[in-house]
Amino acid sequence: MIETRDLTKSFGTKKVLQGVSLKVNEGETLVILGRSGSGKSVILKHLIGLLLPDSGVVLVDGEPITGLPERKMGEVRAKIGMLFQSAALFDSMSVEQNLAFPLLEQGIRDMKVIDDRVAQALEMVDLAGEQRKMPADLSGGMRKRVGLARTIVGRPRCVLYDEPTTGLDPITTDSINFLIRRLQRKLGVTSIVVTHDMKTAFHCADRIAFLHEGRLHFVGTVAELKAHPDAIVQDFIEGRSGDTE
Amino acid sequence: MISALGRTVLTFLTYLGEVACLAQETIAAMFTTKIRWRLVLQQLYEIGTRSQLVVAVTGGFTGAVFAAQLYFQLKRFGMESTVGSVTAVAIFRELGPALSGLMVAGRVGAAIAAEIGTMKVTEQVDALRALGVHPIDYLVIPRTLAMMISMPLLVLEACAIALVSSYIVSVPTMGVPEAGFLRNLQYWVVLEDLYKAIIKGFFFGIIIVFVSCHQGLKTTNGAAGVGRAPTEAVVISSLSILAFNFILTFALNVIFPAGV
Repeated sequence: MIETRDLTKSFGTKKVLQGVSLKVNEGETLVILGRSGSGKSVILKHLIGLLLPDSGVVLVDGEPITGLPERKMGEVRAKIGMLFQSAALFDSMSVEQNLAFPLLEQGIRDMKVIDDRVAQALEMVDLAGEQRKMPADLSGGMRKRVGLARTIVGRPRCVLYDEPTTGLDPITTDSINFLIRRLQRKLGVTSIVVTHDMKTAFHCADRIAFLHEGRLHFVGTVAELKAHPDAIVQDFIEGRSGDTE
Repeated sequence: MISALGRTVLTFLTYLGEVACLAQETIAAMFTTKIRWRLVLQQLYEIGTRSQLVVAVTGGFTGAVFAAQLYFQLKRFGMESTVGSVTAVAIFRELGPALSGLMVAGRVGAAIAAEIGTMKVTEQVDALRALGVHPIDYLVIPRTLAMMISMPLLVLEACAIALVSSYIVSVPTMGVPEAGFLRNLQYWVVLEDLYKAIIKGFFFGIIIVFVSCHQGLKTTNGAAGVGRAPTEAVVISSLSILAFNFILTFALNVIFPAGV
């Protein structure tokens, strides 16, 4: 469904992506692993056209989206939803207004339809009845769930998760992991999850891509990753920094 | 030395180019995309209604002080009945638009830059884009339309209050004859002065809104960036208003040469 071909991206003198080619199939969950600052979120933002590569191309359903004018990206973005690392809820709006926003922008005006879709999306993320709350009144885990509900309420075919469990406690992390899997099963969406959390990766992934120094170091299944002999991959899985006292 | 100067000039030109691109894209989008009138109304309240106190106080005290100073000087020549007309001409042509512009830049420009800047660093602007909404359509156009409507009205309000305060200071307080005050006012103040105030207010509003939205949209570096954005928006807007006022004064004198 989504493909990148030889993506490169630099910020100033720092080369963040150095030729990333990746293919994500319809309906699968791909986890992109890598250390902080390795360019995982940068890849994700390229997939939805929030960043423009220095070279290379992103294809959605076989159509190149790189270089499309911002005003023509609407059609692509209707297919792809994104959960931001900070959830990026509109803090001047209530939970309900946040969720209704994409529906209103899609041109839906029937308030009953909007209310039903909002309630369904909140139920899916286990937050039924929380419509009236403001983002400031929500915990970190709840914000992520509301962000996810806002992402799926417009019924995208693909959901991008940017560090969905970062900063959450282990129990909330576990429930978000189950949520990602459940949504993928229930809605049949293609999912791309960026994380450095191994538990999330092993729980959610059909395939894993490991990013190291701006290049894809490994792409394969969870079992293949675990069995991979490369020291960089194994150190990352085991969380070994190589530092000694 | 030369390279430093070159860099400064280049930075300045780049900045001007960025603001011009934002203005061009906003104005083009006003005619091609759906206007969100509910947001325009919200911004009319924020920019127009809520700026009235600050603009009224500015106009009131400026008119009063200007009238008092004129009275002290002109009384020596027995010309105190011209206080109202001189105050009115100065207020309509220069002080009303410029001071209202500076006050609105401080109140509204800072708020716009801070709000959009916060949205930028908390990824809310990216979230808008990810949801298929162009930030210019959602954030910039409503503020621009509201500013285009509000600013000329605020300037007129400031001028009117300045006139009333100059009357109060001159006639009941200082004893300037009312008939002379009003006769001179009618004789020297022409309709073109009103147009000049409205036109200046309109352009100052445009300067404030584009400078402030641009500062907000280019905010980076988290809290520190959000802290800098309003300050820079106010400083750049204020300096631009003062400089552009000079250019507008000459331009308007060409358009309305009947000025006395």
